[in-house]
Amino acid sequence: MSRSSRMSRRRISQLLLGVITLLLVSTLVFLYLKSSRDQTASYTQSRDLIRQLQQLNAQWDSEVLKARIAITHNYDPLVTPLAEMTRLWADLQSRDTYHNPVDLPRWRTSQETYQAAIQEKARLVDQFKSHNAVLRNSLAFLPTAEDDIQAQFNEIDDEGRLRLQGVATDTYDLLLSSLEFAQVTSDERAADILVGLGKLAINKESLPSDFQAPVELLSNHISLILREQPLVNSLLERIAAVPVAERLDELTTHLNQDQQTADLVDHQYHRYLLVFSTLLVVLLLYLAVRLLRSFAEINRVNRALQAANETLEQRVERRTQQLKDAQSELMDSARQAGMAEIATNVLHNVGNVLNSVNISADLVARTLRNSKAQGLGKAMQLLNEHPGDLGTFLTEDAKGKLLPGYLNQLVGAIALEQQGMADELTQLSKSVDHIKDIVSTQQSYAGASSLLEPVDIGALMDDALRMNAGALSRHHVTVVKEYAQVPQILGDKHRLLLIMVNLISNAKYAMTGLSDRPRQMTLTVLPGADDTLKISVKDDGEGIPPENMIRIFSHGFTTRKEGHGFGLHSCALAAVEMNGQLSAHSDGPGRGAVFTLTIPLTHAGTTP
Amino acid sequence: MSDVSIYRLGFVLLLSSGLAMPLIAAPLDEALKPLPAIAVLDPAKVELGRQLFNEPRLSVNNTLSCASCHHLETSGADDKAFSLGFDGKPVPLNTPTVFNASLNFKQFWDGRVDTLQAQVEHVVISPLEMGSDWKTVVQNLSALPAYRNAFKQTYTDGVTAANVQDALATYERTLLTPNSRFDQYLLGNTEILTIQEKYGYQRFKDYGCIACHQGVNIGGNMFQKFGVMGDYFKARGNPLESDLGRYLLTQDEEDRHVFKVPSLRNVAVTAPYFHDASAKTLEEAVDVMFKYQLGRTPSQEDKDLIIQFLKTLTGEWAGKPL
Repeated sequence: MSRSSRMSRRRISQLLLGVITLLLVSTLVFLYLKSSRDQTASYTQSRDLIRQLQQLNAQWDSEVLKARIAITHNYDPLVTPLAEMTRLWADLQSRDTYHNPVDLPRWRTSQETYQAAIQEKARLVDQFKSHNAVLRNSLAFLPTAEDDIQAQFNEIDDEGRLRLQGVATDTYDLLLSSLEFAQVTSDERAADILVGLGKLAINKESLPSDFQAPVELLSNHISLILREQPLVNSLLERIAAVPVAERLDELTTHLNQDQQTADLVDHQYHRYLLVFSTLLVVLLLYLAVRLLRSFAEINRVNRALQAANETLEQRVERRTQQLKDAQSELMDSARQAGMAEIATNVLHNVGNVLNSVNISADLVARTLRNSKAQGLGKAMQLLNEHPGDLGTFLTEDAKGKLLPGYLNQLVGAIALEQQGMADELTQLSKSVDHIKDIVSTQQSYAGASSLLEPVDIGALMDDALRMNAGALSRHHVTVVKEYAQVPQILGDKHRLLLIMVNLISNAKYAMTGLSDRPRQMTLTVLPGADDTLKISVKDDGEGIPPENMIRIFSHGFTTRKEGHGFGLHSCALAAVEMNGQLSAHSDGPGRGAVFTLTIPLTHAGTTP
Repeated sequence: MSDVSIYRLGFVLLLSSGLAMPLIAAPLDEALKPLPAIAVLDPAKVELGRQLFNEPRLSVNNTLSCASCHHLETSGADDKAFSLGFDGKPVPLNTPTVFNASLNFKQFWDGRVDTLQAQVEHVVISPLEMGSDWKTVVQNLSALPAYRNAFKQTYTDGVTAANVQDALATYERTLLTPNSRFDQYLLGNTEILTIQEKYGYQRFKDYGCIACHQGVNIGGNMFQKFGVMGDYFKARGNPLESDLGRYLLTQDEEDRHVFKVPSLRNVAVTAPYFHDASAKTLEEAVDVMFKYQLGRTPSQEDKDLIIQFLKTLTGEWAGKPL
């Protein structure tokens, strides 16, 4: 899978996760808001408003009745309830209580019927106020009117009074009927009053003019009572019949029903919320479990990694051990290879010397074969043929006379011969000594362990040179020795010789390609600072390129075709084993190289 | 604290309160009620209402403001029998006083609206009065930065018809005339009225004036037929459409000649009287009332006493007696 598509998929999954989270959160918030909406309070408030309306309505009714029985003249209490109710109604209207859409039209209808009822009631109450006011006034005036008429009666003389007694009684009766009518309004009484009014009208004609006005007033007021009382009564009945309270009850019922519905919905949302919350909790628990599991997984992997690490360490340790072993094996083989090299040199040298031994022996043998001593035998034979006349023979015989000179010549020749053979034998003996030297030297190094022994560095250097002597002479290498005066030191002869042989061999090889100038090798022994000894082998050879400088002591590094690459490596190791150090320096390719071995200078005779 | 010290403290408090506070007489429990205190309303609205009350831009030709017909310095009503509309023609009804109008249970002679806001609304669009329309009024007012700013500061939605009406209504609620001598009497200061005036009040009650003129506004809380005890309009002659009162509104025979009972507060300064301004003086008005409403014939003395009483109903506005 390509990187970009993986990225885009990751982005999509992140987006998806975000959307899902948003969705869950908004659902939770929605359900919470839905279920936490406290509708009960608003319903209670609305019901409370309606209850207040009912109270005001009842108060209004009672004020109407109070006005009816003339307890009070103040009509403000008949106005204020309506104003208050209008205010409360507006308050109720402004509340958005109702929720059930099915019932909403009926709720509206109920509200409209209430408003119609309250308007009708207000209209009737206004009419009642008007009619009741004048009715009460007239009823209140009746006794006064009667008194006025009685006063008029009292004004006139007894005869006149007697004549008008009937009229007075009639008037009085009418008054009483009117008052009774005010209490119990009935058609019969109305008819009575009507008859009484008729009589009063007739009587009025027969009355003196002084009576005219009061009677007229009285009859006017009684007419008014007759007219207004049934009106007021019917208004009261109609007011009582206006179903304001019923409409309010209806509204309350509607509210209750609606609240029940809303509560049901509310409960439903509560349930939804509960279910949803449970789901969320389950989801969270699941996620927590997943998280814990992945923690456990991580821990497990960590532990496994740790274990693997430990195993790896052990394996590394083992491998390191193996490598160490291999290295020591290699060291051994290197040492053996070193020894083989030494042996090769030795054998080579020995071979060379043996050659001269062979030649010397051959020469001696040939000299002996062709020796002049045979001439001596022939001379003796001649002498033996002349045993008595030896003198004569020597003096007279021709042959005899030559014999003494021949013998003199023979003696000189044999003496010369012997001298040459002696010389040759001396040379032979020297060669044998050389071989003995080489072999003994080899014997003294082969298999030598790390034993510290007094070492004469100069002699050791010479030994090393001698081991390479054949090769050096073959390659026409001039060796320059610059040995400082150094006392015998305590050292590992074998390792030192190994290093030196190698270094000398390397120097010799480095100068193989050198043809334009004499091949010169310089060996230097110099005491260094801090009780060290510096032994360096310098050549004028091919030099070392800087890039090779760092790995020149590495195992397996070689620039030679037939090289095995652990000569310098084993030298370096050997140097380290002697608490020393092997370093190389070159000014660059073609400018020669210097290998310097630095070892501690421990005087022989002191305990290391 | 011990009981003794509590008692002592109570005694000291009682003493000090008794000494510190002037003796307040109990208000009288009458069918007539003292004027309530002027409500504390939003001063910004009141000020805006005051400006609008004097604002001729409410009328179609910028000639009439509320104050043109409601003279606050004198009576809150017009000194003319019939105020002149924007076109200079007299309106058919006598201008009622704006003073204490907020205490009336309905507005206008025929009580056709319940609120001061609605009253303002009607007057502005009445073709006989201001003759304008609300759209124009709102436009005209909005054109003035001063109004725009004032409305914006007072009402969230700036210059609207409802806000203009509300500001005016708010101002009108402050137009009460407190401190009339009769109010002081009702509040317990019985010494403030002369004996005559007290008799006058007694007659006012005895003759039944109180049947309609009662309550806090001494009227203004019910409708009444003009001519309960006789046909006033026949006697007056020249019947007019405006005499029909609420009938014009309801077409109900019951409402023929029915008007809102006007308040008697400041009645001494609000001549002429009645919807038709037919009574030029208080005496005439009282006579008409006796004859056509009460159906009584009082003595001249009683009438004088009642008139003396009525004159105690004159209150103050802006600290000055009307």
